[in-house]
Amino acid sequence: MSTLTLGTRAIQAALDDAGLDAEALDGLATFRVGDSVLPSILAQALGIRDLRYYVDQFGGGSVSHSVIGQAALAVHAGVADYVVCYRALNARSEFRMGGTGRPLVDAVETQYQAPYGYFVPPQQFAMVARAHMEKYGTTEAQLGRVAVTQRANAVHNERAMMRAPMTLEDYFAARWVVEPFRLFDCCLETDAAVAVLVTSAERARDLRKPPVLISGAAWGSGQTLYSNQQPDTTRTAAADLAPRLFEMAGVGPNDIDVAQLYDCFTYSVLVQLEDYGFCAKGEGGPFLESGATALGGSIPVNTHGGFLSEGYVHGLNHVYECVSQLRGEAGARQVDGARVGLSTAQPGYISGNASALVLRTDA
Amino acid sequence: MSDTPAAFLPFAPTPDRDSRPYWDALAQGRFELQRCQACRALRWPAREICNRCRSFENSWEEHDGQGCVASWVRTHQAFAPALRDAVPYTVVQVRLDAQDDLLLIGGWLAARTPRFEEPVSMQLLAGSDGHHLPCWGPAEDLPA
Repeated sequence: MSTLTLGTRAIQAALDDAGLDAEALDGLATFRVGDSVLPSILAQALGIRDLRYYVDQFGGGSVSHSVIGQAALAVHAGVADYVVCYRALNARSEFRMGGTGRPLVDAVETQYQAPYGYFVPPQQFAMVARAHMEKYGTTEAQLGRVAVTQRANAVHNERAMMRAPMTLEDYFAARWVVEPFRLFDCCLETDAAVAVLVTSAERARDLRKPPVLISGAAWGSGQTLYSNQQPDTTRTAAADLAPRLFEMAGVGPNDIDVAQLYDCFTYSVLVQLEDYGFCAKGEGGPFLESGATALGGSIPVNTHGGFLSEGYVHGLNHVYECVSQLRGEAGARQVDGARVGLSTAQPGYISGNASALVLRTDA
Repeated sequence: MSDTPAAFLPFAPTPDRDSRPYWDALAQGRFELQRCQACRALRWPAREICNRCRSFENSWEEHDGQGCVASWVRTHQAFAPALRDAVPYTVVQVRLDAQDDLLLIGGWLAARTPRFEEPVSMQLLAGSDGHHLPCWGPAEDLPA
C-alpha cells in the first residue's frame, strides 16, 4: 500500500471518529524524512481545494509532537479550523530505519560516523545507553524490564503486532543487535499511519466523541553528539522541555495518570522517566524495577505496548493511545480514572530536537 | 572477543565545505581540530562559527587525540551489505583530554572490550581507498 493510501485511510478514520465531513478539513500537517508522500499531494487526493494551513516538517520522531503543538497554535490564531496531523510510512516494506535498503541519512554528522560502520539509530542510542549504565549502574535487566512491561500491555491491545507474553528470560535469550541492545531493546519497523484531528475546544465539543484537550505543548532543541556544548550525554532535551511543558499545563509529573514515552529503544523510556521528573536522575532503572510503570503502577507507561510491541508510527501512535486512555476507550488496558496524560517525542540527544504534549479530559 | 580491529572502514568519508580541511589534513597523516581565534575554544566537528562566542575567526591545529573512553558499542547486526564480513565490531566514543565536550566517534584498536573512562591514545588508520581515520585504543595495545 502506498503512503498516500495509508495516509488517506488514517485521515478518513479520524474524520469518521469525529463525525466530521472531509469538506470541513482546512489544515494538514505531517513530518517525514524523505520517506512519505508530499502533504500537498495528499490534500489533492482528498479533494481539499483550499488548504488554509499546511506543514511539511523535516524530521523523525523528535518532531512528532511538535506538529500537533503547531496545529494548536494555528487553530488558536484562527488560521485554520480543523487541522489533521498525520504520519504515514512504510517503515518495514520500503524504508527501514535499520538501514537495509535505505541510503544513509543526509545529515552533516554522517561523514564522521559512517566510515566506522556507525550510522543507524540502534548504534547511536546504544552509545548513550552504555554511558548511562556506566555512570549510574543501570543494568541490562533494567532495560529488559521496559520491553517485558510493554509486552504485558500489548497482550491487551488487539492492534499490537507483538502480543505473545514475554519474560525477562526471553529478553536475555534474544540475539544481540548492538551491545548493550538485544533484539527486544529495539522497536519494530512497521507499515502504518495515524491521523490526529486538532480543532478548538468549542468545535470539538460539537463532534461525535468526547474531546481531549491539549493543555500543554512544548518544544526543545537540546544537544546532539556533535553540539560540542554538552559533556554529559545522558541528559536529554526533555530535561529542558519538561519544566515549561508542565508549567503551561499547570501540572507536575505527580499529576500525570498515564504516560506514553517515545520508545524507539528501551533506553529512551528509562532516560525520559528521569528527565520528565518521574524519578531522580540515574534512578530510572530501579524505578522501572519497582513496577511503577506497569499497569496498576503509579505511572503506567506505554499502555499500548509502544513501538516495542504495538508498532512504530514514529510518535503518533503514542498520541492515539493517550487519547484512547483519556476517553476511557482502552479496554482491558484502561488506566482507571485517567484524566491527565503525557505523550512524548524522541527525547532529543540524537537529533537535537524534542517535543511533547500534556493532554487532559474535558471536565 | 576477536573483533576485526577498527580498520575495515566500510564507507569513504564524504567531506562538505566546512569539513574539507579536516579530511585533507587526515589524508596527509595529521589529526587537526579547529580553534576559535577569539575565545580560544576547541571545536569538533568542523564549522566556521564558534558556538560559544560566534566568532568566525578560526584556525586548524594539529592535536595528539589523547582522551578517555566516554562510551562504546559493539555492533553484531550488519546494517549494510558492506558490513557482513566485519561484524561484530566495536566503535568508541572518546572524550578528548583537551576539552570535556569534545566527544568523537572512532574505531577501537584493542582486542578487548573498552573500559569506561580509561585513557586512550589515537592512531590514524589507513582505509582501503587511501583515506585515514582516527582510531583509539590503550597506548600499550596500539599497533607499532
